[in-house]
Amino acid sequence: MTTFTARRFDGRAPAGETVTLAIDGDAVAIIGHDAIAHFARRELAADAPVPGVARKLRTPDGHVIEVAPTAAFDALWPGKDALGRFAFRLESRWSTAILAACLGAVAIWLLVAFALPLIADPVARSLSPEAEHAIGLHALRTIDRVYAKRTRLSADERERVAGRVWIFLEDEPALRDYQLEFRRMGSPNAFALPGKIIVVTDELVHLVKSDDELLAVIAHELGHLDGHHAVRLVLQQSGVAVLATVLAGDAVGMTFLAAAVPAMLLDARYSRAFEEEADDYAFALLARHDVSPQAFADVMRRFEADRRTAEPRDPVYRYLGSHPATEERIRRAEDAARAMKRPGG
Amino acid sequence: MNEPHVDARETPNDAAQAAAPDADAASGATAATQAVPFAFTGLTREYFRIWIVSLALSILTAGIYSAWGKVRKKRYLLDHTRIAGDGLDFRGTPLAILRGRIIAVVLFGGIALGRHVMLELQLAFIALLLLLTPWIAVASARFNARNTFYRNVAFDFDGRLATAFKVFLGFGALAIVTLGLAYPWFRARRARFLVAGHRYGATPFTASVGTGDFVLMYLLAGLAVVASVIVFGVGTGVAIAARASQGAEAAPPIGFYLGLALFYASYIVIFAFVRARTQNLIANGTIVGPVHMQSGLRGTWLSWLYVTNIVAVIGTLGLATPWAVVRLARYRARTLTLTASAPLETLPVASAGRASATGSEVSDLFDVDVAL
Repeated sequence: MTTFTARRFDGRAPAGETVTLAIDGDAVAIIGHDAIAHFARRELAADAPVPGVARKLRTPDGHVIEVAPTAAFDALWPGKDALGRFAFRLESRWSTAILAACLGAVAIWLLVAFALPLIADPVARSLSPEAEHAIGLHALRTIDRVYAKRTRLSADERERVAGRVWIFLEDEPALRDYQLEFRRMGSPNAFALPGKIIVVTDELVHLVKSDDELLAVIAHELGHLDGHHAVRLVLQQSGVAVLATVLAGDAVGMTFLAAAVPAMLLDARYSRAFEEEADDYAFALLARHDVSPQAFADVMRRFEADRRTAEPRDPVYRYLGSHPATEERIRRAEDAARAMKRPGG
Repeated sequence: MNEPHVDARETPNDAAQAAAPDADAASGATAATQAVPFAFTGLTREYFRIWIVSLALSILTAGIYSAWGKVRKKRYLLDHTRIAGDGLDFRGTPLAILRGRIIAVVLFGGIALGRHVMLELQLAFIALLLLLTPWIAVASARFNARNTFYRNVAFDFDGRLATAFKVFLGFGALAIVTLGLAYPWFRARRARFLVAGHRYGATPFTASVGTGDFVLMYLLAGLAVVASVIVFGVGTGVAIAARASQGAEAAPPIGFYLGLALFYASYIVIFAFVRARTQNLIANGTIVGPVHMQSGLRGTWLSWLYVTNIVAVIGTLGLATPWAVVRLARYRARTLTLTASAPLETLPVASAGRASATGSEVSDLFDVDVAL
């Protein structure tokens, strides 16, 4: 015979009564002030246990019997809901709770590092060229409205640059369906938009010291186009945003802020992977046309030097502006240049 | 046990007045007004484990478990919200929350994706979200109220959808058209609508929330924002001038970032004061039959809680969230006093027939819970 002190709420008024719950095998007696009610144990429906939360039994006549949570009570009424029992077991001990958290962390890493890119890749490649072009044009319009100004390069200059790229790709007609755009944006830059749009800034055209350096930049952007990187980045970023919404669904603003930090790190991680892919593509493309990847290393160095002089001497800016990744990319370009020289002798 | 009082359920206020003198011997209430103990008894270490398991299982199930996890977290927090020693009992099903999650993912996912794809698509999703807001507010309030029990008696929400449209879209649009000038009216109307739609058993909530108080509060908050912008602007100007006089290569402007941090902190402080005042106004204006509330949240203390919570949550990459939640709940409970001019036991309970006609099972399919 096991007994528990309990509170009974009959639901006919917001009033509670202290009762004694006596269990003997399958027989349960609820002993009140002036009456005893008898039930079979299975007649009393138990809620799913939550650590630290009072357990509740419902009698067939709608009364609620509330008992302080104890292992003895949980053994008698483990709760019908298997998922609830499973969660309860995990939540009850530090070891299992932390193990679950570690598994969750591994799962999120697998999801973000492998599953999301794996999904984004075929989705990006199955987009019709028209749809991709529409996305790219929308992005270009936004850039024009917010960041970019009309180019100041003369028509001759633009034609010379475009012609040089065109000739470079003479024996690869499949790559010639890009659209080259010139804009003035305040700093040397080039980027690839969805729908095979490559944007080159006036400042970049002025920065490069040779055609090879310009071709190295364009080859890198062609690598982005080949990998559909822009669309994949959008899809993966949206995936991370949806994930953050789900996980922080019932959270207050501050947790959302905390979720934004890993999301930003993930974006950076994706971008780095895409840059490497585009670099490899560029090194191969340049080598095929007897242009040394050294040109890529040179133009990257020029980018860095330009960035250093353009930025204010400001510790925060300097910290954010230090790019170990750039050093790594220059090193890789020079490795590729050496590898190209070796077989040719 | 309480039969004599249940008879008077048709007129709750009268019942409460009449019931007070001849109250139960058990409850022993004889004074006209008595304090009802109110406390939050949750523990961070217990809640942390529930929270982290919920997060982990949500990740492992691609977000689906989050609805089940939310029910468990809510059950913990409500059970430890103790009124006269008894906790609140949440009996909502995870499915309604899952539906809410799907709606939220579609709407916010659409807005996020639309940003990249097509401006028109994003605007369409924002319009859809606005249009659905009144329904979401009513459905969520109803779901939460009907599934929250105190001493085996449910709360309810019967605010009308038509009124919700008028309040959320009508007054909301008015607030936008007047460039925010009508915002206090919107907030006051919204508070009155949400409070007065609630019921506990058969006792309707009444809301005496004055629009004037809201106007005054937002006026002061607006002035504080303007003042902080001016101080920050002048400070930056002075710093730039000082720097220019020393030559552009002078000392790094660490002060600028400090100023920026203070500027953002001032927003958190203003936000905390508005939050404290709003919750006090709403709580103090809420009357449930013989029960009155007195909320004494202080803007200064709430600011301290917000700033430290944000720092802790960001510093621990979110792991401090349960601690932040528990200490906010504890502070809210500590500053809230309930008084009753009649024992709680005498509050009338809805008759069985009415309860089943509008019971939560009927509308279960249309129940959603969206936390916006």
